[in-house]
Amino acid sequence: MRKLVTMAATVALLAGLAACGNSSEPSGTPASLKVWVMGDDGKNFTNLTADFTKETGIKVEVDAIPWANVNEKLTTAVASGQGPDVMQIGLSLLSTFQASGALLDLSPSLGAHPNLKGDNFLDAVAPGKLNPQGKVLSVPWISDTRVLFYRKDLLSEAGFAQPPKTWTELHAYATKLASRGKDKYGYYIPQWDAPLPIQFTWQAGGDVVDKSGKVTLDTPEFRKAVDFYTSFYRQKLVPTAADFDQAQGFISGAAPMLISGPYLAKTIKDQAPELNGKWAVTTLPADKSGTALFAGSNMGVWHKTGNAEAAVKLLDYLSKPATQLKWYQINNELPTVKSALSDPALAADPNVQVYVKQLQDAKLLPVVPAWDKISSKMLDSLNNMVLKGADQTSTLTQLNADVASLQK
Amino acid sequence: MRNRAAGVTPYVFVSPAFVCLLAFGILPIVVAAIVSLTNLDVSGLGDWGKVEFVGLDNYRDLMRDPAFWESLRNTALFVVMGVPVIIGVSLAVAIALNQSQSLFFRALRAFYFLPAVTAIVAIALIWGYLYNTQFGLLNYLLETVGLPRVSWLTEPTVAKFSVALVAIWRATGLNIIILLAAQQDIPKEYYEASAIDGAGKWRQVFSITIPLLRFAIFFVTVTTLIGWMQFFDEPYVLTQGGPSGATTSISLYIYQQGFRFNEFGFASAASLILFVIIFAVTALQVRARRNADE
Repeated sequence: MRKLVTMAATVALLAGLAACGNSSEPSGTPASLKVWVMGDDGKNFTNLTADFTKETGIKVEVDAIPWANVNEKLTTAVASGQGPDVMQIGLSLLSTFQASGALLDLSPSLGAHPNLKGDNFLDAVAPGKLNPQGKVLSVPWISDTRVLFYRKDLLSEAGFAQPPKTWTELHAYATKLASRGKDKYGYYIPQWDAPLPIQFTWQAGGDVVDKSGKVTLDTPEFRKAVDFYTSFYRQKLVPTAADFDQAQGFISGAAPMLISGPYLAKTIKDQAPELNGKWAVTTLPADKSGTALFAGSNMGVWHKTGNAEAAVKLLDYLSKPATQLKWYQINNELPTVKSALSDPALAADPNVQVYVKQLQDAKLLPVVPAWDKISSKMLDSLNNMVLKGADQTSTLTQLNADVASLQK
Repeated sequence: MRNRAAGVTPYVFVSPAFVCLLAFGILPIVVAAIVSLTNLDVSGLGDWGKVEFVGLDNYRDLMRDPAFWESLRNTALFVVMGVPVIIGVSLAVAIALNQSQSLFFRALRAFYFLPAVTAIVAIALIWGYLYNTQFGLLNYLLETVGLPRVSWLTEPTVAKFSVALVAIWRATGLNIIILLAAQQDIPKEYYEASAIDGAGKWRQVFSITIPLLRFAIFFVTVTTLIGWMQFFDEPYVLTQGGPSGATTSISLYIYQQGFRFNEFGFASAASLILFVIIFAVTALQVRARRNADE
């Protein structure tokens, strides 16, 4: 407790200090830019920007921040006023970063940088969808989405030559596959995965943001998504253990179908090379649509940077199709720039072709500050229904009340 | 003149400790109390203008949040489960370990202390594997003797006990050492005298060792109780408070509100309530002990 109070107080005190130390450095060509990238390793990013340094003489100092520490790092930086020049922003944290006021509005300087033009990027991350009205607080960097992973061998043993294309097929396949015996399931639902029920809502033809920009789950489409979600539990087609390991479950065949991101493909390739050719990915099974989550990261500029001009230059460099492709080659993360995505360099890997196709029908989660709390309430409600047997109607009524009160 | 110097000297000596207490003990609590009356969040950190005084709104919202009450209930359950078990086990093991100074017993001492010096992340990893429903060792053992699997960390009720077990296992080591050290302070003469009077081993334990360990037991009780009211590490690393809040302690709740949702005002309000509870419980204990001594 003492520790928590101290932490809270430190944040508050630092914030007070920050008010005194508002220094701005003189502009001009700076010797170096400080960049925060998310992840465990900054080496690849340093390699990526070697050419940028050669061209412009601007050095790039990379700080790698583990994903788990990003929020803490941000609050400390905001409270102290001491941040980097450029930072990577995971889309799930975009609204927090925007609300913190830590991002510089880039719209005045975009004109001089053709690579940053809004329509260069995928439609899912068009500037209007990422930013509050009239501002550009960050630009797209890498993209990520969700696809259906399936075991070709197990599906064909069950008599399915093709992966499921619709909700009905997904459910029918799962039922058949779950009947293989004890500890065999048809499908897998990660209980921590907030985007999954939202994807189902989109696929049912709905949205979770209403016309006024507020999040609402009080729609027939969301209820349909919940029905679909809970049906897998009702018919015991999915494991109920929260610690079910999706990679192990997929490799062992216990869960022969699941929806996940490209990172799972890497895990499977590394851990089970013997499965090569026995599994594949495909675009998400559709109801009215097969819309998937658009995940990934943006790049933004720290609001108190003294190097705004150089920072935007770096963003421009990062948005060049060639840079985006090079990043895919060295770090396996997909471009957000349309022309890079259609490059033949990405055509070699059939999985990547599926990701690229799915990215054309992918959507952002709501970019609102209350989203984190809403999505965690939503997961609690769903888990209460499927694990503790809570009544669906009353749970959803309570959830809708909570969602409304979180956005007062 | 001399008198005045003598009057100042003690204050000079206590002042460093006092300043530290003020800066790292009292001041943060005061700051948290003030913050708890505001709507401070991440946007307020960057721009003080956005911070508003909201009176007791945070406390009212807290009282209305079922998750807060669940975390309080969980914490109470953890305290009721954990504290007596830890004190009982530590005391028993400490007395048993004190029966001999042989190499084997000294090795055992190190064995019991090991969990206390092992990194919590390593502990979480190993216990996570032991508890895993699919391929955990515990379920493997259950299945080999024909028993059904148990969802150690994923069934809401079972998870509370699993998490508490790890915490008990981890916390006994340090308490054993404290009680062991206190036993070595008990004069040998008492045991010799009682042996002459014909007291057996058990009689000695109950009539000499335990009564003379009174202060050590009190100390262990107070620290363990405070530790368990702030229960955090084990649920944080093992279950992140799940499944659906079943292992969320009050400290973990505060952490989630403050450092995951960045609701600093709200989290400060919760932490202040926890502070008041701990303060009250500890004051009660000190009072009870004073009465017992008189």
